[in-house]
Amino acid sequence: MMDEKTVKDVAKFAHIDLTDEELKRYCKDLGDILGYFELLNEAPGCDERGVNPIKVEDIVREDIPEVKFDADDLLRDMDTYERYVRGPRLS
Amino acid sequence: MTAQDTLRDLKAINEKYQMFHAMTPDTECGDAGFLFSAKDNLTSKDMETCAGSRILEGYHPVFDATCIEKLRSAGGKLIGKTNMDEFGFGTFSTNSGFEIPKNPYDLNRACGGSSGGSACAASVIEDHISLGVSTGGSICCPASFCGVYGIAPTYGRVSRYGLIDYGNSLDKIGVISQKATDLKKYMEIIAGKDDRDPTSMVQPEFRTAYRKIGSVAIPKEGVEGLSKEVEAVFKDAVEQLRSMGVDVDYVDMPSLKYAMPAYYILATSEASTNLARYVGMRYGHQEGDHSLKFDDYFTAVRSKYFGDEAKRRILLGTYARMAGFGGRHYAKAREVRQVVINDYKSILKDHDAVLAPTMPFTAPRFDDISKMSALDSYKADYLTVPANIAGTPHLSVPCGYDSDGMPVGMQFVADHWNEDILFSVAEDWEKQFDLRRPEVSI
Repeated sequence: MMDEKTVKDVAKFAHIDLTDEELKRYCKDLGDILGYFELLNEAPGCDERGVNPIKVEDIVREDIPEVKFDADDLLRDMDTYERYVRGPRLS
Repeated sequence: MTAQDTLRDLKAINEKYQMFHAMTPDTECGDAGFLFSAKDNLTSKDMETCAGSRILEGYHPVFDATCIEKLRSAGGKLIGKTNMDEFGFGTFSTNSGFEIPKNPYDLNRACGGSSGGSACAASVIEDHISLGVSTGGSICCPASFCGVYGIAPTYGRVSRYGLIDYGNSLDKIGVISQKATDLKKYMEIIAGKDDRDPTSMVQPEFRTAYRKIGSVAIPKEGVEGLSKEVEAVFKDAVEQLRSMGVDVDYVDMPSLKYAMPAYYILATSEASTNLARYVGMRYGHQEGDHSLKFDDYFTAVRSKYFGDEAKRRILLGTYARMAGFGGRHYAKAREVRQVVINDYKSILKDHDAVLAPTMPFTAPRFDDISKMSALDSYKADYLTVPANIAGTPHLSVPCGYDSDGMPVGMQFVADHWNEDILFSVAEDWEKQFDLRRPEVSI
């Protein structure tokens, strides 16, 4: 069982509000899951630690200016005000 | 059933099986050369794309994913976007904000996940191919449960442009079909370099010429924990392979048991950062209370529209990335990934493919799934996640049926970029395997 304070802190960091019922459920679930994952402690180590499973090279493409999408199409499903995307206030 | 019949009956088919979240309104196929469907985490400019999540409800992309664009250019007609676990988070396609696809062999059972709707469509509709996406087994698992063929190619073989990310270092787009021969035919269309996805740019030539498989290796750890019926069906299938002239050896691969926890650490770490972009602006639901401060607004929207499993994986991934714990398990998970890759490469020096059952059991009933804990569900993935964290191509073929008539699948894994050996063995298998199609009545 993971302690409630840790789960609450993680949830706040992840921008998720938990109900009391969710908090209890995730405390148990995360405790069970992370307890099982302790199995990793006995796994063999390795000097290599790639991010991707294959070797990926930095490949850049030509920087060619273009208008690929119509701005009105992009804004079609967005909540807008005078063609600006609406969002919550900053303070 | 002709393509025209399929379009005429599409609504009725979907009412019974619930494979599609969005469908074409067209009843005429026009000059389309073939019909296809795509998992709903692939963007499509004429159909809503939600990735199984209510937070994206109402999102109409302005562009096609590269794989969809290529199939359309080849004469394909997109007929539907298939139901799935939210953002790919599941093994049974039951973690969805929308409809849950039903298994074509028994409507009380799941299709598998997370490309469950795609496997269902490929199983039910004749001459149909469906695009699936695999992060930890989401093509082969549902292909196995629905009695069809499915391939997840090498990581980077198919452009991920237009794919709604789950885990960027793990996601792979592939094909599901009733016919093994279709896998090669349609993979040839969607594979290839795309400068909009740099990970696709390093791939070597896509080989498809027939290459007879000589030997397979079965990890002893890959045949542990199976249901009795899967064990028996797989044993018979192995004998059948031997009769086809394939050498079969049993080998040790102890790293397999560490792949599942390593996968969930890596996948949820990546997912929790990818899902940070869904905050009730620009995509999907945006009707939050704008009088709230931005942190409170984002939190309110995310809490309301993310489903249970999405929240669980965001919490798990966020925790895994935090200082202290992250330094311990995240780094170790990356090492385990490399150990699994090295083990596959070592075994594949002497064998053409690694083989095991695709799933440890046949498609479970919905009421049994509802009793499973999150950890139980994660453990069910232990046979499919190793090839996925390794980025190696893998292909599931139907290999028999249990006493209830439910399909059993087995999964071949090849070395990076060696899809050709998988196509070859699948086509050889198909020639002698007695595929039982589900009874489809609408």
